[in-house]
Amino acid sequence: MSKIAIKVQNLVKNFGKGDNLVKVIENASFEIKKGELVALIAPSGAGKTTLLMMIGCVYEPTSGEIWLGEEKVYDNKWTAKDTRRIRREKIGFIFQAHYLIPFLNIIENITLLPQTNGVSEKAAKQKAMELLEYLEIADKAYSMSSQLSGGQNQRVAIARALANNPEIILADEPTAALDAQRSISVIKMLKKIAIEQNVAIITVTHDERILPYFDRIMKIENRSIVFHKLDKEQNEII
Amino acid sequence: MINLAKRDIEHTLSKFIVTAMGVGMLLGIVLIMIGVYRGLIFEAEILLNDINADLWIVQENTMGPFAESSRVYEDMKDIIYVMDGIDKSGAITFQNIQLPHKDKPVRVVAVGYDIYGSINPVNPQRIISGRNMKNDRYEIVVTDKTGFKVDDKIKLGRNSYTVVGVTHNTTSNSGDPLVYLSLKDAQELQFLYSNKEIQNNEARGVKNSESHMVNAIIATVKNGFDINEVAQDIKKWQHKSVYTAQQQKEILTKNVVEKSAKQIGLFTVILVVVSTIIIALIIYTMTLEKIKEISIMKLMGLPNSLIVSMIVKETLLLGIFAFIFGNIFSHLTYDKFPKRIVLEIPDAFMLFGVIIVASILASFIGVKKVISADPAAAIGG
Repeated sequence: MSKIAIKVQNLVKNFGKGDNLVKVIENASFEIKKGELVALIAPSGAGKTTLLMMIGCVYEPTSGEIWLGEEKVYDNKWTAKDTRRIRREKIGFIFQAHYLIPFLNIIENITLLPQTNGVSEKAAKQKAMELLEYLEIADKAYSMSSQLSGGQNQRVAIARALANNPEIILADEPTAALDAQRSISVIKMLKKIAIEQNVAIITVTHDERILPYFDRIMKIENRSIVFHKLDKEQNEII
Repeated sequence: MINLAKRDIEHTLSKFIVTAMGVGMLLGIVLIMIGVYRGLIFEAEILLNDINADLWIVQENTMGPFAESSRVYEDMKDIIYVMDGIDKSGAITFQNIQLPHKDKPVRVVAVGYDIYGSINPVNPQRIISGRNMKNDRYEIVVTDKTGFKVDDKIKLGRNSYTVVGVTHNTTSNSGDPLVYLSLKDAQELQFLYSNKEIQNNEARGVKNSESHMVNAIIATVKNGFDINEVAQDIKKWQHKSVYTAQQQKEILTKNVVEKSAKQIGLFTVILVVVSTIIIALIIYTMTLEKIKEISIMKLMGLPNSLIVSMIVKETLLLGIFAFIFGNIFSHLTYDKFPKRIVLEIPDAFMLFGVIIVASILASFIGVKKVISADPAAAIGG
């Protein structure tokens, strides 16, 4: 069983054609192991979300290869007809805001995706309760998201991302809406999840305060991917 | 599996109910419009059914008193009576008159008939107070809608008439209340001129000889005789137009009520189209309100079919609830309308079918929005 959760090779993404051609990502190649928590940083407009969306099988790359776990999902074209199936089965998403479905209660928000994947309601609820207990919000299982605080909702969003036992979690600035204390709390939780659930997590972030908690820092520089380490004493990227 | 439509509606129940009530009122008006049409047909047939004649003999080349002016001599009833196959015959008049009332005149259709004759157009089951006419002068039977009561006096022309009976549910094909007079009184009202007018006519050499005219002769046919053959005989020998009861109904419904029916039908179609557009706009707005959630669901990998079914179910539920409210609204208000509204269950079922189809059509715009929603829109602020 491979330890690699994400493998990207010679990934290219261009927008437009001819004179209007905009190169966003050029020949990006990297691997992320299961259990790793990786930060994706870059200035605004550098292509963070584009890269995240390509790994998440939402945007189609221009060329290259993408493996998610054992499955090669992109080889100059999508290998599967239904990329949504790949997302449903392999990927969990966490967003800036919690974006829970407001008309579903907490447990329904978490069980919706597993039930769509064919998991029985009973089994999906059992798993959801385990996740809520793991994230210490089991008492809110039958509340509506409007009755929870921002931090609690973000934990529910994490539970939702974990509900389909994903190999990968893609998080788009999950701490952007939180204060420093809650940001650190969330990122510690992601770190714990990455290790305990053996999940690869890529987190887009601008928040330098949380960088020390990441295993690696992936930066988009001149349309290429460069990995950095963090001088934890200085809290500076080297 | 979680029923997304049910959960969404529960979440915004009051908004959904108010919206359904609004659309329901529109559908209620559709039902009432259909009821107006049914009422027209119903009212058009009341008098025909009460008279229950097999044949209507009218002025040659006319369609009879319900469609156009018709005059025949009163004694034609005796000529008809002696023809082969005729069981009973009678003369009848129809005229619009205004009954003077304390508030404002009441427009009615007066039916004149021979109260000693064998055909009586007053259905005794419709008399709710008083009696039918016993004297052939200065008695009148009125409909309760006129506001008159038994023993009231009504001044008509030169004479005063006493209300001897009040009927219920008797209206003409135009929806005006019916009143009944003796044939003599009716002829006098319709054909007898004032003294000065008679003097003027006589000075011009014109005799006032029309007071024995009627608008139609009605007859019933003996058992064993073919109604159409008897009608043909009358046409051939008496030079009159003759209509069977069925033909007279057709004249009423096709020639007299048809234009009103078309008008009402067009209004109904417009209202249904407007309802469909309103449902479509509501569903579109409801979809737009959820577009972020829809993008997230698509990003998470939920299939379109699940999201589309939520939109279609919500549209159908809106249509069904609106239909229920429409029925409640129409049943609460139909008797407040001045004209008769007849609400029939088959019409409600037909409207239900139309609303289901309209709801499915209306959901297309929301479904299109769902299908085109970009999952990437979930990412970022």
